[in-house]
This record gives sequence, structure tokens and C-alpha cells, in this order.
Amino acid sequence: MSHHPPVSCIPNTTKMSKAKKVIEEAREINNPEIDLVDKGISNLEEIPALSALANLMNLEILNLANNHVEELPVSLSSLPKLRILNVSLNRLYTLPRGFGAFPVLEILDLTYNNLNEKTLPGNFFMMESLRALYLGDNDFELLPAEIGNLKNLQILSLRENDLIEVPRELGSLPRLRELHLQGNRLVVLPPEIVSCINSVSSTLSRH
Amino acid sequence: MPGIATMSLENMYCTRCGDGFEANEKIVNSNGELWHTNCFVCAQCFRMFPDGVFYEFEGRKYCEQDFQVLFAPCCGKCGEFVIGRVIKAMNANWHPACFRCEECSSELADAGFIKHAGRALCHACNARIKADGLQNYMCHKCHGVIDGEPLRYRGEVWHGYHFTCATCGVELDHTAREVKNRPGYAATDVNNLFCLRCHDKMGIPICGACRRPIEERIVTALGKHWHVEHFVCAKCEKPFHGHRHYEKKGLAYCEQHYHQLFGNLCYVCNQVIAGDVFTALNKAWCVHHFACALCDAPLSTRSKFYEYDERPACRRCYEKLPSELRRRLRRAHHYTLRR
Repeated sequence: MSHHPPVSCIPNTTKMSKAKKVIEEAREINNPEIDLVDKGISNLEEIPALSALANLMNLEILNLANNHVEELPVSLSSLPKLRILNVSLNRLYTLPRGFGAFPVLEILDLTYNNLNEKTLPGNFFMMESLRALYLGDNDFELLPAEIGNLKNLQILSLRENDLIEVPRELGSLPRLRELHLQGNRLVVLPPEIVSCINSVSSTLSRH
Repeated sequence: MPGIATMSLENMYCTRCGDGFEANEKIVNSNGELWHTNCFVCAQCFRMFPDGVFYEFEGRKYCEQDFQVLFAPCCGKCGEFVIGRVIKAMNANWHPACFRCEECSSELADAGFIKHAGRALCHACNARIKADGLQNYMCHKCHGVIDGEPLRYRGEVWHGYHFTCATCGVELDHTAREVKNRPGYAATDVNNLFCLRCHDKMGIPICGACRRPIEERIVTALGKHWHVEHFVCAKCEKPFHGHRHYEKKGLAYCEQHYHQLFGNLCYVCNQVIAGDVFTALNKAWCVHHFACALCDAPLSTRSKFYEYDERPACRRCYEKLPSELRRRLRRAHHYTLRR
């Protein structure tokens, strides 16, 4: 990562100083929840306090929604208690290597970024603790069959992507109860999904 | 009798009447006890013992006839007294030669026997009957073979026609129902058989699972009655045994499976919701965990929120969304409403 002074990418410096404050406070009082929504953050590595996020051993909820983050630090995945990670409404074009190493992640919100199947790291579908995965408003054309590994998944949103087809493995997710597929280029669904569609509340309209 | 000769008559008394003996009177001596001849008689019939043969029981002497009448067992087969070896089996006494297999008439005294449907059988016959007649029940009353379904009553099988309905008197068949207890009746009053019609009229509850009458503890739930052990979780089939159950679409579930299946776990903390539940968008929240999906700001039950991927978004966050995204969400929302 570059060590240039963080100038260009930070539109609002008062917001940024708030972000630092939030993290420092969280460390002091052992707060399990960090809210950095809409703080104009573009590069987590540029801010010393933010790069120290990975040291927050008790962190359970991290909300980075509505910033300008393009990349996430590798160290994020080692947060031992992180359950909810919201990086929606950012500019992620890739995910770091080994991103799927979160031990207890339950809700992962990656809505409204620039991700696709090629930018997912190899261990992405090893997060067996995931119960909700939001990938709406991204650039997926295909969904890897490994989605079938996420045995605890209850909610999957793939709204507004460029999917041409979805894998039959979706039908084998035993606990899936919410599936958002609207706004894609799907023409047919695998029969494995259709057969369980009554039990899943799904939105398939507007193709 | 040198003993008596040396005794003086004044010291001798009859064991029965206690009087002394006359000189030259005939005295009976039995094991050192002395008797007048007309006192040495059967304790039952007071007659002399034929041929001097007597039987002793608890210190009293009986003639053979009375001893057998009073104490000797009667053979369950020939009805004669059993003297000598007595076979006690099948709730009766037998001469060893009279206790025989009811199939092949072989003696059972030393070979041993097996009770099968109320009959004593040798091992071979028991094995054979069990093998070739699993369905052929033997009526406990007449010992005849039962064609078709037997009537089961008091742990045995019977021809239904040996019984009549305790209420209407109609001849019964295998569908007859035994009533073991009934509220307001003593057990001895109701251990009876009833035809199906009369049984139904008695208002005995029927188990919703096994369709059999419930005569012990009743669980009433889901608008039906159940045997305690038949009221089970629709998922794991374990009985609730009085533990709390949860109802959904006419089925009952244990706490664990109800929450697992119907998602009454809080969307945020993923725990069973202890207090009030906030339900919206096919999800549930602890009241204090219901919050904007974007900024995590708490929403109250009265807050206005927007739907965003089936999650709530507060007005502030929604209005900060990129305008093109807002437009798409709005369009999708209208489309859903039109449907």
C-alpha cells in the first residue's frame, strides 16, 4: 500500500476524525459494535486507527456502509468474533485473498459494489456460518456452484446483477428461505430450485 | 408291652379324652401316646382307622379317605387324588402321567413344558405351532383357532362372539373396545367390552395421532386430544411431556425446531427472542434490535421505514442512496404492489 498522505480521497475531514474517534472509543470500552457509516472512508489502510481494526478482538458488528472503500484489508477476516459485516454501497472491485476465513460471520452485506464471480477469493464459499449473503447490485454473470457449501444460508440476494443462469446447488441449501433474483438476465431456473420454491420467499419478477 | 406293664394304671391317661384306663382295658399305644380304643379314631369322621392305617397332619390323625379329601391335591386331568409325586403346573396339580402335551400327549413332567396361548406344550410342539401358525390365534376361552382378527381383551385373544356389548348386548367382534377406566366410575365398574357404536357414544376421547381411545392422561392441543406420548414435535417427533410447544399451520413444534424452521430468531442477534417480537418483512427482531439495515440506527415500532432487500431502511439512509438505485427500488416496489 502507498504511504502518500491521505489527501485526495477524503472528501470530508471532520467525518474522518469522527471515524477515528469511533474506533478509539470502541477499543477503550471494548464496544462490540463499530459504526462507520457514511464517513467518506476510501482506503482503510491509509488511516492508522482503521488499520488497527483487526486488533479489536471483541468486535461483533462492523458497518462500513456508504463509503468509498475499494479494497478491504486482509487482516479483517481474522476478527475472531465478527458476526455482521456491512460493506454495502462502496466501490469494492475485489476482495482480499483469504477473505472467507471469518470464523463466525453470519451476515455479509456486499450490496452495491463492483464485484463479480472472478473477484471472489478461493475460500469465499467456506464461510459456513453465513446465514445472510447480500450480493445485490454487483456485476455477477455466474454464481459458482460452491454456493451449495453454505449450509446455513437463509437469505441470498443476487438482485440486479447480470446473471444468465444460477446453479442447481441453490436447490440443495437446506435452510434457504429468502432468494432475491430479480433484475437479472435469467430465462430459466434449474428444476431443483423450482421444486422448493413454495417454501422459499423469492423475488423473481422483472426479468 | 413291657413298658405299660411296668407303669402303674393311675399314672396313665388317654391322649384324646384325658381319662384314665380300667384294669384289663385294651390300650392303644402309638409312638408312646396312649389311647382308649374308641378314642383312637379319625379326627374328621370319628371312626376307627380301616386296617389301622392313618395319616397325620398337624398333630391330628385322619383316615385315608378324609386325609385325601381334606389335604391331597386333585389331578387336573383325571380328578383323582394325587398321592406321591405331585406336578404343580398351569395353576393345577397333576399325576406325573396325566400332565401331557396338549398337542402330542407326550409326558411333560420331566421334559418340561411351554405355555402357549393357555395350553401346556412340549418344546417341539410349541416350536411347530409358533412356526406354522403365527396368524392363527387360539381363543383363550374355547381354545379353538380364531380365523381372522382376534378380539384382544385382558391381555388374551378371544373369539369376539364369546362376549356381548356391556351396553346394548349385541354380540361382539374384534372391533369391540375395552374400557379400563372412565372418569366417575370405579375401575371394577368399567372393565368391560363395548361395541364400537356404544363406545363412541360414551364420549371417550380419541388420540389425534394413533386414533385409539385415550384412557390415561389426555393432552388437549391443536383442537384435538392426544395420548401424552403421542403429542410430539412435528419435526423431531419427541413428545413434549408438558414442555412448552409452538403451533404453526396446525402442527406443533418444540422450541428449538419451531425457531429453526420458522425463523423466530432475531435477525440481528440470532437468538430466540425472549421478550416482545417485532415482525416485518418475513423476519423477526428483538424490539431493541430492530434497526436500519444501512446505519444500524434503532427504529421504533412507529418509525416509518423503507423496504430494502427485505430489510428496513430509515428515511435518512434511504434518501442518501444513489438516486438511480432509489429509482429502481421504487419501481420494484410498485411492481410488487401491482401484483
